Amino acid sequence: MALNKVGDPIIRVDRLYKTFPNGVNALVNFSGHVHRGEVVVIIGPSGAGKSTFLRCLNGLEEIDSGTIVIDGIPLDEKKKNRLEIRKEVGMVFQQFNLFPHMTVLDNVNLAQIRVRHKSREEATQTSMELLNKVDIADKAAAFPDQLSGGQQQRVAIARALAMMPKVMLFDEATSALDPEMIGEVLDVMKNLAREGMTMVCVTHEMGFAREVSDRVIFMEKGTIVEMGTAEHFFENPAEERTRLFLSQIL
Amino acid sequence: MHTSAGRSAVLKRLYRSPLADIFQFVILVLLVIWFFARSTENLGYDWQWGRIPPFLFSFDENGLTWGPLMQGLMVTFKISGISLVLAFTIGLTTALFRVSGSFVARAIAHVYLETSRNTPLLIQLFFIYFVVGPVIGLDRFTSAVLALSLFEGAYASEIFRAGIVSISRGQREAGYSLGLSTLDAYRFIIMPQAIRRVVPPLTSQAISLIKDSALVSTIAIYDLTMQAQTLIAETFLTFELWFTVGAMYLFVTTILSLLVNHLEKRFKVSA
Ligand SMILES: Nc1ncnc2c1ncn2[C@@H]1O[C@H](COP(=O)(O)OP(=O)(O)OP(=O)(O)O)[C@@H](O)[C@H]1O
Ligand SMILES: [Mg+2]
Repeated sequence: MALNKVGDPIIRVDRLYKTFPNGVNALVNFSGHVHRGEVVVIIGPSGAGKSTFLRCLNGLEEIDSGTIVIDGIPLDEKKKNRLEIRKEVGMVFQQFNLFPHMTVLDNVNLAQIRVRHKSREEATQTSMELLNKVDIADKAAAFPDQLSGGQQQRVAIARALAMMPKVMLFDEATSALDPEMIGEVLDVMKNLAREGMTMVCVTHEMGFAREVSDRVIFMEKGTIVEMGTAEHFFENPAEERTRLFLSQIL
Repeated sequence: MHTSAGRSAVLKRLYRSPLADIFQFVILVLLVIWFFARSTENLGYDWQWGRIPPFLFSFDENGLTWGPLMQGLMVTFKISGISLVLAFTIGLTTALFRVSGSFVARAIAHVYLETSRNTPLLIQLFFIYFVVGPVIGLDRFTSAVLALSLFEGAYASEIFRAGIVSISRGQREAGYSLGLSTLDAYRFIIMPQAIRRVVPPLTSQAISLIKDSALVSTIAIYDLTMQAQTLIAETFLTFELWFTVGAMYLFVTTILSLLVNHLEKRFKVSA
């Protein structure tokens, strides 16, 4: 499927290195591209550096060396570039991280008003459309703690989409959910993928990978071990380590 | 069986009703009064409560006139009110300095915090009034307000800082990932949550400030305490006056607590 995509690389990552102050090498010579409209799934054992990689992509974590360019904007020391990239890159966290002191609607409105400088009416209109899309418009006036985990995560997705990002990052978006709520969040993600959103998803949901991903990346110890389509991974992974990992999670 | 169950239900209801609270309170008050009656009996003190009301207020042909104690209370209000606003402003600024990325800001905040918190308020008050005041031309009132604000601001800053660091990293990161600047993340995400969390300790700090404001009497500001001291020197109504003044402070601080409680309930947001 990846080959069918004609989009240009929207994320370019070259030779990333990241070592935490405690000496952990979280990213080691990590390079790769993500094309416009592509859905990339990243898998790998705990501590492989998956979260670190995603967090580097929107500047939540600083890299030691290497380059990250997103939609032509280099992620460098310039504060302006970092803010610009964050506007274009949405992120969904494992722990939802909704703002507990705001209603669902205000959560989705906030960045539209404060970052995109929309009027409250304009923002609300977009927000309600998005909340409808993730099927939670009826809870617009509720506070996050009145919602189930699945509902909160759907709001978090709507909140990220409200910035009209060009890329969406998902860091184990369903890992903190009770099993019966995983489906509703995955459905939202799948729809998004089908609409052509560029997505980088760290997930252990192999069904999701098989259904919508264009490319799967297996990483370990901060670097890419193997890369290919979902079919490739499930039918004949080349690397012994990949096989071992897949046999553990499938 | 039947009646005893019925009786225990009635007892339970009675116990839960406000009547029970009032009853307990009355017993407590009676005990306290008995205790003081006994101890002053031993002292052979001659109570003259009747002389107190004119110190509070009096009526004459011009209508109501506030007595020295009420005038003192007004001064206490004024000093505490201004100092409170300043102390919280200084506290918030210092807290933000302490969590900021700037080394200079952190250093300034640190030095201020440690000096202010680790020296007695009385010394700071004297220092500002007698040493700093004459140099830069501060009057009594300004010196008092400045000393109180700086002293209480140090404690307030620790309270604000505790509130800020109690907000999880995920909140901040969610804000940043939406493209919010650091300033906006603090303004709309971190501070609103942090401040709600620290309302109770800030209230205690406000109450401390009101009580600590009594120290301004040492630089001859006619606040509630100073008025009381002056009256005592003139009338020797030592116990009556101190009890009255104590009750006045208690009244003000209780009102403040109740007010904050009420506001907190109205704006309650579960975090
Ligand atoms: N802030 C940090 N300080 C120090 N070490 C860190 C920090 N964050 C992550 N690490 C370490 O970096 C390595 C990579 O962590 P990362 O969270 O990226 O892994 P992951 O692949 O997302 O794992 P998981 O599946 O458990 O989420 C781990 O060894 C982790 O302990
Ligand atoms: Mg992770």
